[in-house]
Amino acid sequence: MGAMGQQPFETVLEAHHGEIHRYLVRLTTRASEADDLSQETFLRAYRAYRALTPDANVRAWLFTIATNLARNHFRDEKRRRTAYTAAVAARSESDANAPDGEAMFQEARARVEAVVGGLPLKQRLAFILRKIHDLDYDVIARSLDCSADSARAHVFQALKKIRHNLAGHQLVEMEMRR
Amino acid sequence: MNRPAVCPEIEMDLIATATGDADPATSGRVQRHVGRCAPCQAEFHRYRAVEDVVERWRGVPVAGEALAAARKRLEQRLDDLRRRTVAYRIFPSPLGNILIAVSERGVALVEYLGQRRHVRDSRLSRLPEVEAVEDGAEVEARYRELMEYLEGRRTRLEWPLDLRLARSDFHRQVLEATAGIPYGAVASYAGLACEVGKPTAARAVAQALRRNPLPIVIPCHRVVGSSGALTGYAGHKTDLKQQLLTTEGVRTVKRDRELRVPHDTMYVTSPGSTEYCLPSCTWLSTIEHPHRLRFFGTRSRAEASGLAPCTDCRPDLHPIPS
Repeated sequence: MGAMGQQPFETVLEAHHGEIHRYLVRLTTRASEADDLSQETFLRAYRAYRALTPDANVRAWLFTIATNLARNHFRDEKRRRTAYTAAVAARSESDANAPDGEAMFQEARARVEAVVGGLPLKQRLAFILRKIHDLDYDVIARSLDCSADSARAHVFQALKKIRHNLAGHQLVEMEMRR
Repeated sequence: MNRPAVCPEIEMDLIATATGDADPATSGRVQRHVGRCAPCQAEFHRYRAVEDVVERWRGVPVAGEALAAARKRLEQRLDDLRRRTVAYRIFPSPLGNILIAVSERGVALVEYLGQRRHVRDSRLSRLPEVEAVEDGAEVEARYRELMEYLEGRRTRLEWPLDLRLARSDFHRQVLEATAGIPYGAVASYAGLACEVGKPTAARAVAQALRRNPLPIVIPCHRVVGSSGALTGYAGHKTDLKQQLLTTEGVRTVKRDRELRVPHDTMYVTSPGSTEYCLPSCTWLSTIEHPHRLRFFGTRSRAEASGLAPCTDCRPDLHPIPS
């Protein structure tokens, strides 16, 4: 079934489930949360898929559905931030045995994850959609109900916070000497 | 961090350039500025370092085995949803608004909505086991074929059908038998009852057809009383039944204040026979179950369904005057 000229939904699942799931894993603290949100994303998408116009950007559309569900899910912002910071701290500890350069990178990455986890929701979503999933600003804007300029500003705010958090970090100073 | 580490007028462009988010013109301008401004150059490199770390983060695999398990769970739920899903649209037609709904197996519902135009007015909204979703193009193709049919430009709707909305196996049998009545012919409730092996169940057959989820497609309008009376259709819409029969070349007349199909001026055949006859053919007086006879309004419709003129009564030489 499916509209004329439309890919079967299996194809959509095949092409995008991995990425959408990873996006939601990055946003959430527990695997079960990501699992629930990605299931709900694709069940909703399935229900609306037939009415989608043939020229629609399916990937952007799925990210919009997932982002909306995530925004609803994270209404209780404060609880999320606390949980996220704790989870990131736990994750970074397990990497203690890595070689030196690698350990430094991993430590920096854990700090970036922690900063991103502590960002206001729209900044965090905009940052992950842009920097991790490489979506266009107009798609991000649609997912966040804002203008493309605001979406861009959210990403820049996030980058500034990360940069200030990493100030004095070995990695950043090393880069300067290159 | 009180003093800005970077010239404020170029800060946004500098961040964009260092993190790979700037157009070539902006990028060139930033590069020129950085070449002659040491603090901005330092800041530029810090943002490059940030970008490197983010790049690393992007490359970190997440999920893995958990992803495969999540995918499997999702596929199970989708399978269940897919089985329950019917995609519908509502269209205008000469018979009022019509809802057409399609499942993965075939067309599952054709419903007369009259003046109503919302899915909440449909049977679909009262069926908890069905997940109704609005459709795009597929249902529209069915609609176009249905319109051609109603305008008499098409005599067959060769659609895959899904009889999930039939209420029982008996109803399903009746619907399947009805689907075998050819275009331009009429049969009787009692005849269909014989056909499904329940010769005394004419009333139950009428009930099953009253609940036909696929009117027009499963041509319950071609089933009339043994006397030729149109009786009911989709409740009290006998006028729709008359309209559909007229499109197929079956005349109706008013006798004893009732709309009837005039059997005595129609061509006639019996299930299993390869010929059609005049109503006066002597062979007709010998047959065992007269209510199983089928009647055609025109010779051309009888012949289109594969029948030859009877070699005794020769309807080809003595056609019924129209």
